[in-house]
Amino acid sequence: MDIRFEQAEARFEGRTVVHPLTLSLSERRIGVIGLNGSGKTTFARMINGLVLPAAGKVTVNGFDTGKDGDKVRGQAGFIFQNPQNQIILPILKEDIALGLKSRKLSKAETEAAVEAVLARFGIAHLGERRAHELSGGELQLAALASVLVTRPDILIMDEPTNQLDLRNHSLVERTIHSLDENIIVISHDLSLIADFDRVLFFHEGRLAHDGPPAEVIARYRELAA
Amino acid sequence: MKTLYVEGDTFLHRLSPRTKLVGLAALSLFLFLIHSPTVLSVSATLGGIVYASLRLGWHQSWLRLRPILLTIAIVALFTLVLNGWHDALIVITRLTALALFAAAVTATTSTGDFIDEITRLAMPLERLGLVRAADIGLSIGLVIRFVPEILGRYQAIRDAHRARGLKVRPLTLTVPLIILTLKNADEIAAAIDARGVRAQK
Repeated sequence: MDIRFEQAEARFEGRTVVHPLTLSLSERRIGVIGLNGSGKTTFARMINGLVLPAAGKVTVNGFDTGKDGDKVRGQAGFIFQNPQNQIILPILKEDIALGLKSRKLSKAETEAAVEAVLARFGIAHLGERRAHELSGGELQLAALASVLVTRPDILIMDEPTNQLDLRNHSLVERTIHSLDENIIVISHDLSLIADFDRVLFFHEGRLAHDGPPAEVIARYRELAA
Repeated sequence: MKTLYVEGDTFLHRLSPRTKLVGLAALSLFLFLIHSPTVLSVSATLGGIVYASLRLGWHQSWLRLRPILLTIAIVALFTLVLNGWHDALIVITRLTALALFAAAVTATTSTGDFIDEITRLAMPLERLGLVRAADIGLSIGLVIRFVPEILGRYQAIRDAHRARGLKVRPLTLTVPLIILTLKNADEIAAAIDARGVRAQK
């Protein structure tokens, strides 16, 4: 994984949401923390080109988010805060297959890939279910399957354990820790990222601290207290 | 509205979606050109036989067909009052036949197959540079997927009114519903982009 921000800045309606930022990310597991409205989600959306920099540039594995949006999104998958909105087609299997459409696979290859990713997350029994009938934990796993079926190099997750009950929280947490992909997790759940390789702490649109989890989380707790 | 597809291996399941859609369109045209109650009654009976061949059971069939059959009954009732029994008989047999054949097509065609077929049928429009064919298929999939969500949201807003002891009024229901739906639409559009579903080929 090679993500680079070069004086990249994000603005919304004349307001700077992420101030000019220069950094590079190569660790396998990165956490992003900060108070509400600190710019975490915008930062994450800049990585896969959903938010383009108003100034500077962002590259992902050598692809510029402004010029090669489709290629960047092929490299970096994104799980949204509300996975309900991420499942686009009514039946889970059909939705997962939708992500493979642009790859021009045969029907058999597509079905095999869908079955494999469902089995990987232990949700093969949900394949024929309707998205609006799934529980919070099932939806989160379904969203993971729908993104990872395309085999992105990087997976970005925006508050993946938000609003989950204890059982689903544990299930999603275990799943995240078992992922082989490079992951960037935005979370208020500090225990989830406590053993990650690196944590970024955003405050008021700026990268306030950057380093090992224990040190950065301690700074965050000081500020939030 | 929910996805009405039922897994199975009947003759209708094996027919291609295109054959079913074109056949349904031709049958609809035929039913609206015919004014003989006898022919229409036979068509409705055939529709019933085709639907029954799916073996969904009485209860499941009633749950699926209830909204459309009740609507047909209301339309037929108005026709009876305004135009007499002959016209009412034509309306009820024609619409019942159409509803049964259409329900059989819906129950035997998965959303994915349906979208693929619509996309293929829209390809000539894409070649003329008028639309992206995949967008038309995707739009239909999105409608089927998110109608239950919007209904769920509508019920949540109505419950919120009741919980606060507020009278449920059309304006106070529809405004938050529209705002929430538009907000969700933005997120769904972002998800479509993020998943590369509309990636350039």
